[in-house]
Amino acid sequence: MATASATPADRFDAVPARAQVSLWSDAWRRLRRNRLAAVSAFYLAFVFAVAIISLVWTPYSTSHLGVVTPYGGPSGAHPLGGDQYGRDILSRLMEGARTSMTVGVGTQIVVLAVGITVGLLAGYFRGWFDTVVTLVINIFYGIPDLLVALILVFLIGQGSLGTIIFAIAVTRWMDMARLVRGQTLSIREREFVEAAKASGAKPRKIIFGHILPNALGPIIVQATIGVPSAILFEAFMSFLGLGIQPPTASWGSMAADGVNAIRISPHIVLAPSLALMITLMAFNFLGDGLRDALDPRQRR
Amino acid sequence: MTEPILRVRDLETKFFTDDGVVQAVDGVSFDLMPGETLGIVGESGCGKSMTALSLLRLVPEPGRVTGGEVLFKGNDILQMTADEVRDLRGKDLAMIFQDPQSSLNPVLRTGFQIQEAMLAHHTADRKSSARKAVDLLKQVRIPAAESRVKDYPHQLSGGMRQRAMIAMGLANSPSVLIADEPTTALDVTVQAQILELIRDLNQELNTAVIMITHNLGVVAGLCTRIIVMYAGRIVEEGPTKQIFKNPQHPYTWSLLRSLPRVDADRRERLRSIEGLPPDLIHPPSGCRFHPRCPFRVERCYREDPALAQVAPDQRAACWVTMDRAYKEMNAGELVDVRPGAGSGVNPGVLDG
Amino acid sequence: MLTRGTLTYIGQRLVLIAFTVLAVSSIVFLGIHRLPGDALFSERLRGQAYQLLLHHYGLDQPLLVQYQRFLGAMLHGDLGESLVNRGVKITPLVIRELSVSAEVGVVALFFTIVIGIILGTIAAMRQNSWLDYLLSSVSVVGYSMPNFVIASFLILFFAIWLGNVTGGSFQYELNWDGTYGTPGEIWLPAFALGFPYASFVARLTRASMLEVIRQDYIRTARAKGLTEQIVIIRHALRNSLIPVITILGPLVIGIITGGVVIENIFNIPGLGKEFAQSILSRDYNVVIGVFTMYAAMVGVANLLVDLAYTVIDPRIRY
Repeated sequence: MATASATPADRFDAVPARAQVSLWSDAWRRLRRNRLAAVSAFYLAFVFAVAIISLVWTPYSTSHLGVVTPYGGPSGAHPLGGDQYGRDILSRLMEGARTSMTVGVGTQIVVLAVGITVGLLAGYFRGWFDTVVTLVINIFYGIPDLLVALILVFLIGQGSLGTIIFAIAVTRWMDMARLVRGQTLSIREREFVEAAKASGAKPRKIIFGHILPNALGPIIVQATIGVPSAILFEAFMSFLGLGIQPPTASWGSMAADGVNAIRISPHIVLAPSLALMITLMAFNFLGDGLRDALDPRQRR
Repeated sequence: MTEPILRVRDLETKFFTDDGVVQAVDGVSFDLMPGETLGIVGESGCGKSMTALSLLRLVPEPGRVTGGEVLFKGNDILQMTADEVRDLRGKDLAMIFQDPQSSLNPVLRTGFQIQEAMLAHHTADRKSSARKAVDLLKQVRIPAAESRVKDYPHQLSGGMRQRAMIAMGLANSPSVLIADEPTTALDVTVQAQILELIRDLNQELNTAVIMITHNLGVVAGLCTRIIVMYAGRIVEEGPTKQIFKNPQHPYTWSLLRSLPRVDADRRERLRSIEGLPPDLIHPPSGCRFHPRCPFRVERCYREDPALAQVAPDQRAACWVTMDRAYKEMNAGELVDVRPGAGSGVNPGVLDG
Repeated sequence: MLTRGTLTYIGQRLVLIAFTVLAVSSIVFLGIHRLPGDALFSERLRGQAYQLLLHHYGLDQPLLVQYQRFLGAMLHGDLGESLVNRGVKITPLVIRELSVSAEVGVVALFFTIVIGIILGTIAAMRQNSWLDYLLSSVSVVGYSMPNFVIASFLILFFAIWLGNVTGGSFQYELNWDGTYGTPGEIWLPAFALGFPYASFVARLTRASMLEVIRQDYIRTARAKGLTEQIVIIRHALRNSLIPVITILGPLVIGIITGGVVIENIFNIPGLGKEFAQSILSRDYNVVIGVFTMYAAMVGVANLLVDLAYTVIDPRIRY
């Protein structure tokens, strides 16, 4: 029988070693390949830029009445026409972008701060704190969040941006807390946490040095998906007249004005509606893309 | 002389995957006589399950039956319309599957799933099928059949579920029952009971049984004839007793040797077959078993052997056969007790 | 199916709902009554007439007494009297409005579930076909659209564009007269309400169906000789619905929430419209009453969803 010319081990040397890839660069690579998410990211960057610009400049004033003929249709000088008070819709749309972005990102910042803190503490230390937190979360689970937010705004009084952000965040922090708690519970059982504890690491180091970094993936996804949710929320509230108060422009209140004027000037409702729709879609695509990129096990 | 109830000729089934075409079943032919118990044995991935599924055209995507004939009472199943095949399934040819836990629908009552078989083929109406379902459960020896019939699958034990599956298969008194590893997922004691049940049913009802398994012990107790498959082909076939006593194909021989024996020398290591199952997308050249065969000769690398008569009523696809291996390669003395001796076989002498 | 265990479970849940409703309305009551000022601004009354009014509503009592009266009245089913519309009892008002909202909500839910399941099943059966991709894209658009946007487009199309194009012969009126009259009146709002969720249900059904189809028991069903139709409808569908039931709870809450906006657009005299209106007009008593009704509605809806679980999946029993 012919003898083998090379030992099996030789074959392994010929295979090039795989480059070390960290979770983040791997995820980044996958995200970049997702065209839908990439387009969405660009669009959102654009909206963000518009929002910032609107702080210092809009084509026309957003609050002076009569800048354009009331109910005026789109024209050269006013590409999106005028609303029922004669305000330039394009300018108001820009300001609305600022409102939406502020509310969307603002709520998520609060939600992240509160949710992560509560979730980490409840999940790591357990005990009575955890029981209380779980109870609160379960109670609030069954109550329509919009109604709670509306009542909060109602109780607090004025519809300033801060109030709205607070009201929305109050109803939304629970989802984040539940997520973080769940992540903490599962991560703390893993060996490297035991190793850290065995080598005498303090709880603070373990929580922030080990648990939090590992839970970051789902947290980011949740936060990204939470932004359109918050924007939608604010739009609902403003639509009902119970959110951002005039004269500050909000896409939701602009849409409400549009619906009221729908028989007279159909165009008023279109701009804010489309803006909302496309922005929300972009966030959803981006969120989906992030979720797929950060979860290596999931397949389409 | 009676006619075979099932004639399979050159059956071919392929899987069209992204990595290539998998030749799951590559030219399988056999006959099944009425009331006969036929065993199809082989390791995982040898194509035995696919053969069975191909008979009823139940091959899942991305697989397809690509050639051959399956003649049931003279009619080729592979040429029938979808409706005609559906008519045969569950009525003339029934199939039961490996894991009764996942093979029964969890949200439907067990009795109903048995009734369904009858209702679908209009062999009974609602009332009589309900009664018959209870009778069938009694026939498969499930105690308290009247109340069991209303239970959901998760309320039954593993053995009872498999009996229920058998009942479902026999509901319309089929001529052929195909059993795909029916005992693999069960405890050993339950296995024995199920096999006994199938044997009794075969004798009482004269239903032909095709038993697919990788477990030679199962086959020994139940089947009169066996087919040994490897890499999508039949490598040996013949009466069970004869093959067990005198296997001619080295693969069959290795399989039989690998069975742990109660009376074996304690120092003997368990024997295995060296190597890995073949890649069905790029099968080995020549005889498909040659990379793992202790008795291969040069011809085995080049030419693919066809099934040939090696004993009365026994055929094997091998250039060498065990007869020759015993005579020329000292197969009879091949016992190796060194640790990690693998198949315990010293590589045979290579000589044309 | 209606076992002793189930009845006990229902009983327990109802008690829980009662407690939650009580707790929630108490919180709102106390929260509101700590607000400075009162609802009687609109009445430019002074002096004695003002005091009489306060007394009529019991607002001149200390908070604790007010709360006791409130609790006592509520346990008798009396939610008080409207502050803005004097003499109007709240309980019959909100019950009537609840039935309206429930009607619209149920039709919307029906749309959501039926359309969602059908589209999801079709997409799964024709996986990777153009139909599948079309439905997938539409579904993302679907649940990204706020329901008032959908409503606007529908109104633009049906009420305005079609009316203009057909020279006025096709009219869609946006006013609801409170009765279950012309079908046209309820379908549009129900559709606008349900469509975003239908997309979600479709996606979920599709994913679920794709998994179910690969299960062994589907192979068994086919081996029995059942027609493909029966295999899909009787065997595959029920199992695919199990994950859908899971999201039914949040879905119902979403429909209840969305209903608030839809009712305001289409002028439907339901709880949502009352809620918005009473907040704007500072009719505190009505606000409390409406919120109480909502809490009860949500509790009952969640209970029904949990019961639906047992219907679909017999492995679940309480």
